[in-house]
Amino acid sequence: MLTKGPATPLELRYLDPEDVHIFRGEDGLVYATIRDEVTLISPAFLRSHPLTDPERYISIKGTIPKEGMEARGDEFGLLRNWRRLDPESRRLIEEQLARRYLHPRLTRIISLEDYSGVQVAVFETDRGVREVTLRDVRDNVIYLDSNRLLITDAENNRYDVPDITALDRQSRVYLARIL
Amino acid sequence: MPVLEQVPESVRTAVEQRHPGAEVKVSARADLRNGGVFGDKWLLLAGDRVLVCDDGEAPQVSTDLPLADISNFEIDTLVGGAALRAVVNGQRIDLISFTNALADRFGRVREQLDAAAKGKPIREREERLNRCSTCGMVLGEHTRVCPRCLRRGAVLRRLLGYARPYRGRLTLIMVLLVSGTAIGLAPPLLTKYLVDDVLIPRKNVHLLLLLVAGLAGTSILSTGMEIWRGRLAAWLGGRISFDLRADLYERLQWLSLRYYDKHPTGALISRLTQDSGGVQDLLAFALPMVVGSVIQIIGVAIVLFIMNWKLAILALIPVPFLIMLSHSLWIRLRKAWHAYWYRWGRFHTLVNDALNRVKVTKAFSQQPSEVTRYGARNDDLRYAGVRAEQTSATMFPFMWLVVGSGSLLVWLFGGMLAIRAQITAGDVVAFLGYVGMIQFPLHFLSQVTQWLSRALTAAERVFEVLDTESDSEKSKGSVSPARLRGEVEFQNVNFGYERHQQVLKEVSFRVEPGHMLGLVGKSGAGKTTIINLLCRFYDADEGDVLIDGTNVKDLALWEYRKHLGVVLQEPFLFSGTIAENIAYGKPDATPEEIMAAAKVANAHDFVVNKPDGYDEQVGERGGRLSAGERQRICIARAILRDPAILVLDEATASVDLETEQQIQEAITRLIEGRTTFAIAHRLSTLRNADQLIVLEDGKIVEYGAHQELQAKKGVYAGLLEMHQKTSMLGALHAD
Repeated sequence: MLTKGPATPLELRYLDPEDVHIFRGEDGLVYATIRDEVTLISPAFLRSHPLTDPERYISIKGTIPKEGMEARGDEFGLLRNWRRLDPESRRLIEEQLARRYLHPRLTRIISLEDYSGVQVAVFETDRGVREVTLRDVRDNVIYLDSNRLLITDAENNRYDVPDITALDRQSRVYLARIL
Repeated sequence: MPVLEQVPESVRTAVEQRHPGAEVKVSARADLRNGGVFGDKWLLLAGDRVLVCDDGEAPQVSTDLPLADISNFEIDTLVGGAALRAVVNGQRIDLISFTNALADRFGRVREQLDAAAKGKPIREREERLNRCSTCGMVLGEHTRVCPRCLRRGAVLRRLLGYARPYRGRLTLIMVLLVSGTAIGLAPPLLTKYLVDDVLIPRKNVHLLLLLVAGLAGTSILSTGMEIWRGRLAAWLGGRISFDLRADLYERLQWLSLRYYDKHPTGALISRLTQDSGGVQDLLAFALPMVVGSVIQIIGVAIVLFIMNWKLAILALIPVPFLIMLSHSLWIRLRKAWHAYWYRWGRFHTLVNDALNRVKVTKAFSQQPSEVTRYGARNDDLRYAGVRAEQTSATMFPFMWLVVGSGSLLVWLFGGMLAIRAQITAGDVVAFLGYVGMIQFPLHFLSQVTQWLSRALTAAERVFEVLDTESDSEKSKGSVSPARLRGEVEFQNVNFGYERHQQVLKEVSFRVEPGHMLGLVGKSGAGKTTIINLLCRFYDADEGDVLIDGTNVKDLALWEYRKHLGVVLQEPFLFSGTIAENIAYGKPDATPEEIMAAAKVANAHDFVVNKPDGYDEQVGERGGRLSAGERQRICIARAILRDPAILVLDEATASVDLETEQQIQEAITRLIEGRTTFAIAHRLSTLRNADQLIVLEDGKIVEYGAHQELQAKKGVYAGLLEMHQKTSMLGALHAD
C-alpha cells in the first residue's frame, strides 16, 4: 500500500511504473504524481548505480507542495524499470537524466601527443569530439573491471571507456601508450 | 574584473539584431550544448538582458530574459558538470550547462550576474587560471609550469647560477672532460700503428712495447680522470641540490597559509624531494654526459676526416638512421617497462589493502574472494612482467646488432680502399675503433631530449615555489608593542577563502582586555575563520581587525604572534620529547619553567610517571600519548608562552570524566587574566564566558552574556538545549 509522504525509514519502496506519471505543468515545472495520491514538484531523478547499472533503480526524490514540507529531498521510491512508464513520462525522465548525468563515453581516440609526461589527446565520444589534457594519467584511471576504464582528465572531466576491446586498433595503441 | 570573453562575430551579430546597441557587460563561453553534447554556447549580459546564444553556422538566441525579472542566479551541481540557473518568481530556469572544466569560471559569472541582478557593484576577484597564458594548454592543478612553453635555456641558465659559487670545481670538471675525451681518442690511433708497423711487417719489438705502454698509459690516465671527474660532479650535483632544497624549505616556511590552501602538502613534499632530486640527476649526470658526448663525437669526426675524408663520410652516413632505429626500439622497451612498474604499483596497493583489512576479511569469511581478486591482479602483473622481459630479451640483442652494423660498412668500404692500397690495414682497424666509440654517445643523445626536458620541468617547478611571493611575515607591519593589553575589535569584517562563498559577513564585536569571548555555532558557521583572522593567518577582505586599537595589519606580524597562545582542537605534537613539545614556543625555557607550566596544566603528575619523564618520546604526532595527555601538553605549551591573547579551540575528544575535569581545571587556570577566544563546546566554558557570539552562516545572530541569551530563547537557547540532551547521553555513556 502506498502511504503519503516519503518511504518509511527502514524499507525501500519500489514504485509500480503504472502508478507513476511525470508531466510538465503549465508553469513549466516538472511534476510527478504517484497513483494520483501524491504530487511531487520538481522531483529529482537519480541513478542508484550510475556506472554499473544506469538504467535500473531510478530514485525519485522530491517535495510535496501542499504539505508545505521543506525541500529536504526525501526519497519517495525507486523505479526498477523506467522504460515501462508511459511515453510522456519516459520522455521527461530521459530528459532529466540526460541533464544530470554528463557522462561521455569514449568511442575513439583520434590523436594523442606527449609533452614530457602530459598528453594532449582528441577524444571522440558519444557527446562529440573534444580535446582533452591528461596528466599523471595512471593515477587518474579507475578500472571498473579488467576491460572498463574511467579516465579523469586534467580539468576534472571524466570519460567512460565501457570496453577497451571494442575500440579500434589505433585507439587501443594510444591507450596502451599511456597506461 | 567581469568575465568578458571574446565573442565570435556571428554571435555578436545575433545579439545585435535583437538588442541593437546593447553593451555586453558579461560574456562567457560554455562547453555544452543542448542535450549535453560538446560544443560552444554563449551566456551574455547585454544591456539589461540575459541572453543565451548557440554558436555555429547560424547562431540562435535561445533564451532572452530581462535582468529585472531575475531575483538571483544559482549553480546546480550535476554529475560531471553543472548548470547555471536563473530564479524568476521562485521558478528555476536553466540557462546554460558546462563541464567541470569551466566550473570555476561560471562560479565567477554567477557571482557577477547576481551582483548585477541585485544592483550591486561587481566585486573584483582574480580568476584561477588553469591554462597556459601562451599556448592555452591545460596546466597541472598546483603549478603554472607549462611543459610545452618551458623556456629551457632560461631555466638552465638559472640552474647554472647555482653553480656560480663553485666555479673552480666546475671549470676543473670541464677541463677533465675535454682532456679526458682527447686522451680517449688516442687508443685507436695507437692500434693503427700497432697493425701497420708491428703486426703486418712482423718486426719492431721496441715499437710494440712502446705502443702497448702507450695504450696502458692512456687507459690508466683516462680512467683516473674519469674517476676524478665523476667524484667532482657528484659533489657539485649534491651541493647544488642541497642549496636548492635549503632555499626551497625556507621559502615554504614563510609562505602564506593561502598558498598552503591551494597546494596540498603532498605536492609540496614532492617538490622538495623528487623535483630537487631530478635537478641533482640533471647536474651530476645528464649535463656532463651531454657535454662529454658532444665533445667526443666532434673529436672523433675531426680525427676521421683527417685520416681519410671519403671513408669518414661513408662511415658516418648510416649513423643517423641507426640512431633513429635504436631510438624507436628504445621507446618500445621503455613503454613495456613502464607498464610493468605501473602494475607493480597497483599490485602493491592491492596487497597492502588486503593485508590491512585481514581482520574484516576473516570476520566476513571473504578469504576465497580475496584470493580470486589477488589472483587476477597477480596474473595481470605476470603478463606485463613477461612482456617487459621478453621485449628486453629481444630488443637488446637486436639493438646491438643494429648498432654493430655500422662497423660492417667500415669493413666493406674500408676493406675495398685497403685492397686498392688507398689506406692501410691499420687505418681500417682505427676506423672501426672510432666508429664503435661514438655509437654510445650518439645513442645517448637520441634519448637525452626527453630526459632533459623532464629534469628541466622539475627544476622549473622548484623555481616556481621560490618565485612565489612569500608572506614576508618578517617585514609586514612596523608597530611592535612590548606588551599587549589584549583588547580586540572586529569592525564590519567580510571574508571568504574562495570566491564561491563568503564565510564571514559584516562581523563586528569588541572584547575587553582579559575578557573571555565564546564563539558558538554549527560547524562551518565561521568560528574558526574568526580565529584565523585574529591570528592573521589570513587578512580580512573588507573591514578591520584592531588589537589594542591598532590595525592588525600595522602590527609587526612576527612580533604580534608572540603575544598569541593557541590551543587547537586537534592537539598537535611533533615527534620529540615531552619537554621539547612544551618548550616549542619558547625554546630557551629552563626545565623549571617547563615543569611549572606542566604543573599548571595538570600534566606534571602524569609526565613524571612516564619511564623517561619529561624526556619521554611522544612518537609521531604524539601517538604514544592518550588524547587527554596530548591536550594537557598543548595547554602547558600555551601557558609557557604566557600570551596576552589566548585562542582555545576546545577539544570534543572523547576522554573520560576525570580527564575531562583535569583538562577543564587546566583551562580555567590558563585563561585567567588573558583575553580569550574560545570555540566552546562545553557548557561550563560557555557559562564562564563574559560574552558569547552566536554565528550562523557567517553572520552574528546573537551577541551577549550567557544568561541574557538563555533568557532570549533564540538560537543559543536552542543549541543549549540540544547540548544538554547530548551531554546527558554522553554522561550515561561514560558511566
